Amino acid sequence: MAKKEKIKYPNPEFFRCKDEIDWKAQWENLKEFGGIAWDLLKATDWKKFGQDRIEDAKADAARVKDEFEAFMALDTENKKDVILHGERRLGRLYRKGAMATVRREWRGIKDTAYDFYEWARMWAMLLGTFSKDLIPALNSTLHYRWMVSYFCCHGFMDKNIMGLRGSNLRMSHLLIYDVFRYVAENLVLSAKCDKKNGNCEALNQRTVLFDEMTMGQIMAGFPDLYGFPHQLLAVFLVSEIDQLTCVPYIDAVESFGLPADCCPVPSSECGALVIDALPHMGACFLSSSMPCDGSTMASSYYSRRFPNVPVFHLCFPVRYLDEETVQMGAEDIKACIKFIEEKTGAKWNWDAYFTQIKRFNKETEYELQKWEVNKSAYPQLLGPCYELFRKWNYEMDGGADPRTIKTFEKVSKILMKAYENKEEPWPGKMKYRALVWSCPAHYYANFSNWAANCWGINVLVEMESLNFTKPLETEDKEEAMRDLARLYERMVMRRHTNGGYQNVVDELWRQCEDWNAKLVIMYQNVACKNMATVQGILDDQGRERGYDLIWVEHDLMDPRTVSRRTMRDKVSEYMRTVMKAEPVDPSLVEFEDEVCM
Amino acid sequence: MKDLKHLIYFEKLLENADNELVKQAQDEGGICLGYTCYHVPEALLNVDKCFSVRLRAPHTGSIDIATYYMSNYTCEFARALVERGIEGGYQFLDAMIGVDACSMMNRAMEHFDILQVNSKPNFFVTHCDIPYKITDYTLDSYVKQMRLRVLDRLTEVFGVDTSDAAIRAAVAEHNEVCSIISEIGEMRKAENPVITGYEFHVINLVSYTCPKHLILPYLRETLAELKKRKPDKVSPFRARVAIVGSEIDDPELTKLIEGCGALVVSDRFCFGSTPGREVIELRDDEDALSQICMHVMQHSECARYISDEKVNQRRETADRLAREYNAEGIIYEQMKYCDYWGFERALASHIMHDEYGWPVLSIDRLYNNGNSGQLRTRVQAFVESLEIKRIHKEEGKA
Repeated sequence: MAKKEKIKYPNPEFFRCKDEIDWKAQWENLKEFGGIAWDLLKATDWKKFGQDRIEDAKADAARVKDEFEAFMALDTENKKDVILHGERRLGRLYRKGAMATVRREWRGIKDTAYDFYEWARMWAMLLGTFSKDLIPALNSTLHYRWMVSYFCCHGFMDKNIMGLRGSNLRMSHLLIYDVFRYVAENLVLSAKCDKKNGNCEALNQRTVLFDEMTMGQIMAGFPDLYGFPHQLLAVFLVSEIDQLTCVPYIDAVESFGLPADCCPVPSSECGALVIDALPHMGACFLSSSMPCDGSTMASSYYSRRFPNVPVFHLCFPVRYLDEETVQMGAEDIKACIKFIEEKTGAKWNWDAYFTQIKRFNKETEYELQKWEVNKSAYPQLLGPCYELFRKWNYEMDGGADPRTIKTFEKVSKILMKAYENKEEPWPGKMKYRALVWSCPAHYYANFSNWAANCWGINVLVEMESLNFTKPLETEDKEEAMRDLARLYERMVMRRHTNGGYQNVVDELWRQCEDWNAKLVIMYQNVACKNMATVQGILDDQGRERGYDLIWVEHDLMDPRTVSRRTMRDKVSEYMRTVMKAEPVDPSLVEFEDEVCM
Repeated sequence: MKDLKHLIYFEKLLENADNELVKQAQDEGGICLGYTCYHVPEALLNVDKCFSVRLRAPHTGSIDIATYYMSNYTCEFARALVERGIEGGYQFLDAMIGVDACSMMNRAMEHFDILQVNSKPNFFVTHCDIPYKITDYTLDSYVKQMRLRVLDRLTEVFGVDTSDAAIRAAVAEHNEVCSIISEIGEMRKAENPVITGYEFHVINLVSYTCPKHLILPYLRETLAELKKRKPDKVSPFRARVAIVGSEIDDPELTKLIEGCGALVVSDRFCFGSTPGREVIELRDDEDALSQICMHVMQHSECARYISDEKVNQRRETADRLAREYNAEGIIYEQMKYCDYWGFERALASHIMHDEYGWPVLSIDRLYNNGNSGQLRTRVQAFVESLEIKRIHKEEGKA
């Protein structure tokens, strides 16, 4: 039997590159950090702090007593059900003023055991990854406040799988694990590169930065280079974990003069640049005009912060359905490849490119399988973990990591078995089939999870998942460039919000039919001009077609404009008044999570 | 100064999008093509029997219906156009030439289609893709878009001659307009100019919104009149400013600024003369369409252009104009909710101050501003600060 080849990804050489830490500078930073910490300690009202802890202890005791009494009040059958299949009142997990849930969820014996196994597996992965170059990785917490938010990744995972049982729980864990592995590896590598930290020049020379809204597939042809979405970890992803992360960025850039009506994604990116919250790294940067107008000009802020990093502006036609425009996109990709070659000395490798793209095509096949199952009367893979994974896989991974396809294979097996068994992802809570349209709020990444647990609204798919599914060319080199352009033009969000209203309006009605969904959660990012400018016709046409559109306003990365509670209230009000529905879990209708990460 | 002979007539022409010259041209068999953006080469819309009207929504009041369709967080210019369209104000158009330059304007054009604001049987709205940077391949694509989405459509629907010769004829007429406007604009460089910023704004706007062959006689006469015009012995203005930024089609804004004592000597904004009123130099050895497209790409000052050289060009242009026209400060303005100019204004207003040394007033504004007390206060304060700087300079303190 042939020996199974061990997958080595990311390139182990990246981790082996030697750090050149400037210890003197680190000492200066440590002193500054220590000074801030000391000021905080001095400014703390310790008496109040002590009282708060006593209050917390009392609240915990009251909660335990309440939970115990509630359990004891159940009849034997229900007690047995809770023990075997888990608790039913998830609102108890939240407490006013708490930054995290008060405890982990009881999911029944089997699922809780599995859940703890995955919890431990995640810790092992994190520790294993960080140990590859521990000092710069941990040291970055002394440089960047956003790093601290990543310590809450387990809490984030818990929120995303709330109420899940059986196969959906297993699939969700597998998917979110891959995303966190990607995050952990990139945290370590970016800390190595960061001139303020690891200062690893050898790795910097091989590092191509790209805008977080630029898809990663172009790096497929450069297997010896390290492609890193520069703002992803410091802005985009962390804002899903911690709702308060982007607040300092937004405040900084608005103080600088940026109008508050701009989309929080480019605003936060620019704010991070204003307050110098991004690692100083890389040989060059790929900016882009995507997805929307707001992102286009954000690159000038990048050039202002990093004037010595050469920038290539990757620009794709907006009216992407017009095939006459495709060649321009393809030519821009070729120009971009040439730019990377010039700046790094690396050479484009067609074999490597086709290998990765074949893998990506296979992953797309698996994705379509999930869609088919979810379109059926027995949807299986639902919830925020899948939603996040889909976006990450499509945008960032793109077939790059060979380990990901293994996850696809495992998930596929579980998915098909669950489908055959007609399992329910949220047992007893499958009441309404729904779609999510427009971009979801980062600060409420598990909103679809709440909707399912509270009202039985099962989000079958998000708009942001429904992207390009045509297999990409893997033989003809010229056509491969054109296909790559087509893919980029249809990146997350842009696929719908650009190129004509038909892509977002007509497409919605087509998808509603396809997925047999009558209810639509219409996210309304108050700063998204592309979506705001079609809200009237969406409303008109939705009404004519008899769909239930629940408009939920949010401000994407700024929870101060529209809070999570306000978002929930919009759904609850609609469900009560229009749908005349009763909540599946009344404890989730009213609860406090204003400061909860 | 003595009033300009045609100023009131020009102001009257700006009262409505379908002014009397537009009606006259249509009565003569002209095909009226609406457009809003500089990225639609104006000369192309004046080929053969076509004439262009750069769309405005003068005297916009309530935009409630458009707000229902496009929300209240979007560009008021785009909403004003949709509102006016719904009211039937653009029924006179024979076609609408749209470019996907910014999402909100594109959506406005789409609403023309969806809400069927024009019932003419041959009316169409076309959407063109335009580039973000200047390269040989983006030029090719731009040329192709203009050929397929504009010129070929005009030939198919209206039988318009869009040959190279027809385009060159249109450019010749376009150039005469540009030459006159540029010559008038140059007069603002004088220490005590014979024209105010408001007057220039009005004259320039009629050149965008009226058929060229009908407005030209008035422009020629006005130029001749200005050459003989005597300025007031003492300028009534306390400072000179250049305006840089997004769309201004409302001369009342210029009037408001000048009412605060700041003579507007340079107009680097959409619907202004930079860009828009530069003569197009055509060579005989290359097709006219490609040269026109390249001209537009090179002269565009739109914040949509992402590449570093265009970003720098915008700063250099603002600096050059302010120096050439002897401005003492720059007003960076932005139509509220404009994403491109929102990002550009915030950064550039710092850079123009910190690196180029210009006093800068940075404002975002609504579509109609003629009566904005808040804006008036800010401009007044800016004028005072410019005066103080001048006094300090004269006293050798600066």
